[in-house]
Parts: sequence; C-alpha cells; structure tokens
Amino acid sequence: MLYLVMLLQLMLPVVALGEFGAKLIAVSALLLLPLYLWAYTSEPNGRYHALQREQIPWLYDGIAEMAERAGIKMPRVYLLEDYIPNAYSFKNTLVFSLGLFEVLGEEEILAVAAHEIGHIKNGDTKLFPIIAYSRYTMALLTVMVVVTSKNAWISFGSLMLYAFYELSRAEYLKEREFKADHTALGLLHIPLSLKYALEELKYYEDLRASVKTSALPSIEPSIDRRQGSPLIETHPSYDERILRIMIEVGHIAPYNKLQ
Amino acid sequence: MEPHEFKLTEEGIKAVLPPLEAEIMEEMWKLRVATAGQLYEILKERHPDIRRSTVSILMNRLCDRGLLKRSVETGRGGMRYVYSVTTTREEFEEKVVKSILDALMSNFREATYAYLSKMKK
Repeated sequence: MLYLVMLLQLMLPVVALGEFGAKLIAVSALLLLPLYLWAYTSEPNGRYHALQREQIPWLYDGIAEMAERAGIKMPRVYLLEDYIPNAYSFKNTLVFSLGLFEVLGEEEILAVAAHEIGHIKNGDTKLFPIIAYSRYTMALLTVMVVVTSKNAWISFGSLMLYAFYELSRAEYLKEREFKADHTALGLLHIPLSLKYALEELKYYEDLRASVKTSALPSIEPSIDRRQGSPLIETHPSYDERILRIMIEVGHIAPYNKLQ
Repeated sequence: MEPHEFKLTEEGIKAVLPPLEAEIMEEMWKLRVATAGQLYEILKERHPDIRRSTVSILMNRLCDRGLLKRSVETGRGGMRYVYSVTTTREEFEEKVVKSILDALMSNFREATYAYLSKMKK
C-alpha cells in the first residue's frame, strides 16, 4: 500500500503540472540523494565504541551465532555511551547503549540483539533510510503542487494523498517492527526472552515518566530524552508487540481462535 | 544538591530524599564506587520485588541531583557505567542543616534565634 501511495504521489505532479512537475520530482530527488548517501556511508564515532569479542564474549558469540542462523554476515557491534537503555541497527551494524546492560539480563539483551538482526535480515536497515528521505520528497512535492497548481481539486488531492501516505508509512513501519520480532523469535534459544526484555523496557519507560512527572519542579532531574509523542506513531506499543509474541510462541490463542 | 523539601515525619536522610534514593545513598556512602548491578543485588535482599530498572533510574536521578557521578569504566566484563559519590555523608548532612537553618533564619528570624539560644542554655 505504501509503495502504491508513493507512486500516486509521484504521478500527481506530472499529471497536474506536466513537464514542470517532472522537473520538480527530479530536483527533489537530486536534493535528497546526498542526504541518503551521507546517512548510508557515515560511520559511528565519538560516544560509540566498537565491541571486541574479549570484552563481552557472551554477547559477541550470541550475535555471531544468530547472524549465522539468519544467514547474514557477522554485524559490527558498537556500545554507545548513553545511560538510557536503547538499541538500534543500521547497515550491518548493531548498537547497544550502556544503559541497556543496567536493566536487562544476558538472555534479554540477546533477545534485543535478535530483534535488530531481524531488521538487518529483513532489509530494513537499507529500506528505512530510503523511507525516511522519501518522506521529505513527498512533503516537498505536496507543497510544490499546492503552491503551483491552479486547480483546487488537485491541491486538495495532493494534500489528501500526503495524509494517506503518512498513515501508510506509519502502518508499514509498524509491520516491519512486528516482522523483526517474528524473525527474532526464530533465532532465539529462549523466544520468551524477547517478551521479558520488552516488559522490562516498558517498565523502565513508564517508571521514568512517572518519576519525572511526580518530581518537584525545583528538583526536576535533567533527563534528556525527548518526551513528546509523535502525531502518528510509527512504532507499535510494547503491549502490542508482547501480545503478538505471546500469540506466536503459543501462550495465548490468537483472537480469531477465541471467537 | 540543595534540599528543597524536609519531611518532618521521616528519619535521617529520608527527610530530604525519597526512601529508595536515601537507601541507595546509604549504600553508596559505604561502597563509594559501585555499578547499578551491584546496588541491585544489595537492595534485592531487602526488597525482593525491586527491578534493575528502578535502581538504574534512581541512580541516574541521584546523578542529576549531584549526589552521584557517572563514569564509563572498561574492565574485564566490557564497558559499563560506574557510579561514585560526590560528597561524604557528613558534608551532605552539613549542607542539609545549613539550608534548613538559612530558610528558618530568613523566614522566622526572631523565633529561630530565640529557640537556638534557649537550646544553648
């Protein structure tokens, strides 16, 4: 669905503005190409530290084993100096914040690693930058069409298409998260460790939010993570992911079986 | 850290810190340097339901309050955060007493003087 909406969004300027519309698309793509290349070629530095096997053998070996099972090359692994638990992947690289090691046990960290390996195996680390930058293209084209088109219906159609694109994008990204979880469950020796990891991370975020809101203004800690939630969520909630994991590992009957 | 609240019904540093943060500080003054994992193991004996997340959040909160300092250590178990105390217990208590007396002197000067002089006698 996302690709169809993107295609329509790209076709609309050409249909509405003819040659000028085609030029707009070419210019937007040319503007965003360097950004994509920069994102795809830049290397972590500063607070990132490459993990050597002798530092944390259980993590390194666990990742190596799961990468082999997933049929991907051994990813590069970095530790990030950040006390907030977090993990993410890009290209063939995994990043774990030091905070993650404070709140999760070994099996749970391996489960988080399995989820990130899932993203790599499913091609998300190549796709996500394209989707991120194509979003700017879509927004730019919408603005251009609205500004230059003299037809109110075309402007309205372009805005509607953009709104639909945003919804499709969010849905698509959520599905990719579920797919990464699905892949992770197939890689883990203890599939439920992913559920335990998500529960602990949910507990962490809920507790941190409550600590922050209940604190007196004068002693408010300077916790530095953004607190606002986006208008359209692109990540499924922890509860949604936990529910799907439990269905997959057979602990609960799927909803349609309960009917 | 300057205390901003004093709970008359609480004992010791719990009068100026939430109970679990006070317990963490008590342990940290004994250990001086520790990881969140070490504190978790200690607190778990008294609070079996406590979670690693709670300890990590509270230790980082104590860093924000300026009572603990966080640094990265690379050792046998890889990189990790270690926490150390920034002040001794005595220095902290002195600060608490000073802040409270300053507040009393600026709000109830005469009564505070009168009471302190009565105490001296």
